[in-house]
Amino acid sequence: MATALAPTRTRLPDVSTTLALDWRAMTTDEPQATPNDLVEETEAQLDAVEDEAEVVDAKTVSSPELRRLFEDQALPFMDQLYGAAMRMTRNPADASDLVQETFVKAFAAFRQFKQGTNLKAWLYRILTNTFINTYRKNQRNPYQGTIDELEDWQLGGAESVTQSVSARSAEADAIDHLPSSAVKDALQAIPEDFRMAVYFADVEGFSYQEIADIMKTPVGTVMSRLHRGRRLLRGLLADHARETGVVPDAASTATMRGRGRGTAAASSRTNREGER
Amino acid sequence: MSGCDCSKAKAELEEFLHDELRHEDAADIREHMDDCVDCQTEHRVGVVLMETVKRACRETAPEQLRSEILTRIREEQSTH
Repeated sequence: MATALAPTRTRLPDVSTTLALDWRAMTTDEPQATPNDLVEETEAQLDAVEDEAEVVDAKTVSSPELRRLFEDQALPFMDQLYGAAMRMTRNPADASDLVQETFVKAFAAFRQFKQGTNLKAWLYRILTNTFINTYRKNQRNPYQGTIDELEDWQLGGAESVTQSVSARSAEADAIDHLPSSAVKDALQAIPEDFRMAVYFADVEGFSYQEIADIMKTPVGTVMSRLHRGRRLLRGLLADHARETGVVPDAASTATMRGRGRGTAAASSRTNREGER
Repeated sequence: MSGCDCSKAKAELEEFLHDELRHEDAADIREHMDDCVDCQTEHRVGVVLMETVKRACRETAPEQLRSEILTRIREEQSTH
């Protein structure tokens, strides 16, 4: 976990870096959307699409028209993409670079984007690709690729089954009142793949299938990451609430007690084995 | 009482929360929770967790990022 937590400032590569856009895989499950289907998309996207009520063929429009289309449709997602980039890179400078590269790459590929399909998910896929290709290479994350194989008991986290209704009710109240900084710290403390699955589902409201496409992993793995990520997060937040006296001791989680917040997953294996 | 008990409900609460269940399965969970304080409470923790994360992660990109992006995109366009 130590290497993953160190906020390293990494330069992003030049725009000319090839972008592997296996976009077809991401849209096959979606019905061929008519403009009316877009009503179900997010409001930001809806706003962007409303300006383009007529069907535009991005393959044939002029270059300035394409740019206008891109600015109208894609740029409204900037704050959201920045939020995800902050969770990925952990610092504003890298997050800004990452979002900027994402938009430049997306614009370069925008003629290939099929109008009427899910632009938000498309942008997130480019963001995730860019992040993985530029940051993970430099991080040498020791558990990357193995974290999904860990058993639940090795990960720790909330043991809600053993808690009484009143304790869990108090836990919910306490979590509800935690400051944003504590929540972000807890998010940073859980493994990256878990963190991003939680982010995509809970913050962005992507479906499991969309997350699977963005993270290029089976839906089953998404569900597992999500479940484990939320479980770890809940344990950390309940612990934090207990430490700051927001919630009575009974509602905290024994498994996470006494463990630093930055080491939840990485140290759980050895700690837990030592306890047994 | 439908064909839904606590263990089924608990196992599916997360999918329920994320609106991933089929309509009938979601209805089963909802019906079960009407009578089960335990599962209601568990669901509430899930909802609160989701809302708390959502609230904490709200970000606004720095002002200059937008203009930087617009500049880069215009540069890109002129090279094509």
